[in-house]
Amino acid sequence: MAEADSGFNYDPTKNYDDQICAQQRDIEKQITDEQSLVSNILSFDVLKTEYQDDQVFQNKIQDIKSRYKHMRKTRGDGNCFFRAFGFAYLEHLLKDDSDFPRFKEVASKSKDELVSLGFPQFTIEDFHDTFMEVIDKVGNKISYEEFFQLYTDQGISDYFVVYLRLIVSGHLQKEEDFFMNFVEGGRTVKEFCNQEVEPMHKESDHIHITALTAALGVTIRVEYMDRGDSDKCNQHDFPDGSKPDIFLLYRPGHYDILYP
Amino acid sequence: MAATRRLQKELNDIRQSDQKGFRDIRVDDSNILFWQGLIVPDVPPYNKGAFKIEISFPAEYPFKPPKLAFKTKIYHPNVDEKGQICLPIISPENWKPATKTDQVIQALLALIHDPEPEHPLRGDLAEEFTKDKKKFMKNAEDFTKKFSERRPSD
Repeated sequence: MAEADSGFNYDPTKNYDDQICAQQRDIEKQITDEQSLVSNILSFDVLKTEYQDDQVFQNKIQDIKSRYKHMRKTRGDGNCFFRAFGFAYLEHLLKDDSDFPRFKEVASKSKDELVSLGFPQFTIEDFHDTFMEVIDKVGNKISYEEFFQLYTDQGISDYFVVYLRLIVSGHLQKEEDFFMNFVEGGRTVKEFCNQEVEPMHKESDHIHITALTAALGVTIRVEYMDRGDSDKCNQHDFPDGSKPDIFLLYRPGHYDILYP
Repeated sequence: MAATRRLQKELNDIRQSDQKGFRDIRVDDSNILFWQGLIVPDVPPYNKGAFKIEISFPAEYPFKPPKLAFKTKIYHPNVDEKGQICLPIISPENWKPATKTDQVIQALLALIHDPEPEHPLRGDLAEEFTKDKKKFMKNAEDFTKKFSERRPSD
């Protein structure tokens, strides 16, 4: 483990923090340049090419292909679950607005609930306003093209993601007695929310999905495409036993959208 | 776009709240991303003066945190000689977009009033603070009298 072996010599006069930050910015920029927030509709051939030499994934892609028509990719920036959820569900409402009045009411009320939980009213309002603007546009039946443009505007899309994160945080804190059993690392629910839910770019896990679907009353099916040796993807419905409104594809560390 | 709209609201709010600890906020009309203001602590040894700070907001605000720096020298374990501060609430890892600038300033005031010698940027001052509080208080007060800004009169 001698430093000379790795070719790295620590130089105390250099500011490594700045270098790390610069490298991180480069990586972020590369991701931003190469991946759109939400892609157009894609065929599963893109996945086949990605996993060309990987039989486990090829089998599972075949399985997905037999049950779904196409997919849409989201940017791998740590917000993918929220981004995918928001897009898929709003797109679902554009096609079928039967759930719209219920959803709109839940969404409107959520602000007061968050404020009563102690979130700062002023910034919550800021995010909530944009959140509701997007929802109202969907309610007013904008065209698919208008919706796509709206949701892939980085500023608006990120505001939407922040608010979904706040809803998850609020729900976890409200149901603390239940969720405290699922928080890892000896942290309180509040600490978990501060570290893993509210900051942007923090990846989502089971607990985030459980909370978001419960808070908004939206049902999701997730297809898990991982290294497990089965030929088929495992599925999980949130909440258990529900009929899914939207379908997501999980690959380790990432969520995309599926269309049956 | 988002940054400007939100910062304008935040600035109005802070100005209206008329707080004693953070005042004389100056923001150039041409650049809302850069604020200057005066920290006015009310706890010894810093209550003998006031301290200029600068807050700069990134264009990506509120998705990325603001940066704070002292422009007036201060004798404090958590502020280095360049005026940099280690404030967990605005670390890129922990930053939450719903956090208000006002909360950041309150966190800063809390840190100034209550130094955290366990996480120092000035090891020498942290040691003095822990081992000889009386000496630290005396030095910090002298330093404040010598280098800090004049406190607003009201």
